[in-house]
Amino acid sequence: MRINAGNLKKSEFVFFQGEICQVQKADFYSPGKGSALMKARLKNLISAKNVEYAYKSNEQVEVLDVTSVEMQYLYKDNENLYFMDERTYNQFTLPISVAGEVSKFFKEGKKMFVYMYNDKPLTIRPPMSVKLKIIEADDAAKGDTVSGAKKPVKVETGAIVMVPIFIKIGETISVNPETGEYTGRV
Amino acid sequence: MKIQTNVNNLKNYRIYLQVEKAVNEFLEKNNYLKVELPVLSPALIPESYLEVFETEFKYFEKKEKLYLTPSPEIFLKRLLVAGIGNCYYLGKAFRNSEPNSSWHSSEFTILEFYKIGVNYLQLADEVLKLLQWIALATNNKTISFEKWEKYSVVQSFAKFAQISQKELFNPKEFIKKAKSKGYKIKNATYEDLFSQILAAEVEPNLGKNGYPALLYDYPCQLASLAKLSHDKKTAERCEFYINGLEIGGFCTELNDVKEQQKRFIDQSLIRKKNHLVNHAIDKGFVEVLQYGLPNCTGAGIGFERLVMVFADTTSIEDLKLITII
Repeated sequence: MRINAGNLKKSEFVFFQGEICQVQKADFYSPGKGSALMKARLKNLISAKNVEYAYKSNEQVEVLDVTSVEMQYLYKDNENLYFMDERTYNQFTLPISVAGEVSKFFKEGKKMFVYMYNDKPLTIRPPMSVKLKIIEADDAAKGDTVSGAKKPVKVETGAIVMVPIFIKIGETISVNPETGEYTGRV
Repeated sequence: MKIQTNVNNLKNYRIYLQVEKAVNEFLEKNNYLKVELPVLSPALIPESYLEVFETEFKYFEKKEKLYLTPSPEIFLKRLLVAGIGNCYYLGKAFRNSEPNSSWHSSEFTILEFYKIGVNYLQLADEVLKLLQWIALATNNKTISFEKWEKYSVVQSFAKFAQISQKELFNPKEFIKKAKSKGYKIKNATYEDLFSQILAAEVEPNLGKNGYPALLYDYPCQLASLAKLSHDKKTAERCEFYINGLEIGGFCTELNDVKEQQKRFIDQSLIRKKNHLVNHAIDKGFVEVLQYGLPNCTGAGIGFERLVMVFADTTSIEDLKLITII
């Protein structure tokens, strides 16, 4: 689908210099003396590198028609994440560098949406939140009554999350995987 | 669109008020006269890329088109010709077709001021002092305003976009270079591609080293209403940046009547080509300029963006108690 670059949104997929990229950020920008621009940060889904680009806001951009397919997250190794489409039992591989930091919060066996284009996985559609159990946490220092004080804890996937000091080991918390932020107790 | 109340922004809004107070104090102390101005005008100065809000005055069968001013320049320059001296406006300005984003709001506050008898680089010193004054008033120590990190446009394009001086000043070569970088050159002008490369490759690096950055000497095609340098290759124009965000700009004002008229016609033609609102052109303004704009430098600062620096926020919305989104 062709759209005006001025209407580009975060998470959409575009071809940039012949390669598929995902929009990480898109901000309207008018320099005042010159045509209006859409400043975009594009993540190349092959090299996993970000590139800054400025479209003219009235420039036509081809936005890719992608589907998102629910899959089971199986496991990861040093480089890749492995998924399985539960309807077809087909397995798919996705580089960790492409999926990004969100993969630190994925639990094996959980269902997850994967963006697909021409039967190839592009990247993950991160869930709004994930529920994770705390496996390592220090007791809060006594007398630390500063409101909003936080401490680092380790969750079951191995990731470190900053949580309010009253949270204890063994509790389950919810985390926004995109920002890595604690969003509440479960 | 809808109206949204954000009382959580009260803390930032108080910083907004502190910055406003500091700006008024600084400019008064330095002998600038504050002027209140209309925001509805029956005619405007043609600006090639700014879309305007159009409305109508009605009284029985009498109707007249009015426009919300995209900047106070049209009024301030009349006053300068009339001999008012150093002056400034701090108030609302309106730009249509600019969606709200973290840096943009179609209704915004502009600080525009003019100083007689100085050029753009001399005004840069004054702007730096203004920033120091605000930092003191808001007790903000995150950025040092001791000095500018200075780059000419030539230096910045060489350093951050690997475009040589020769390529920058030769539109044909520049367009070729832009194409090799992957920019679409079909229907794109030199000015368009300059803005694209500036926005994508140069600006994100400016004002990132703990000091505000000053970008100066723009190619003559980007002169707008700035005076050209002696060799006519560059315009006496600067923009300044903090954390990669353009906060404002200033230029030695063009006061050659013929050249002004020529640029107005050029700008009107681009407006027409881009199908922007066909507003009346302020002929009185052109006439007034014949009496001679004094040698001066004018500065325009996006006031909300300026406050964002001192409130440590990343979006204009964070400063407002009421937003229309």
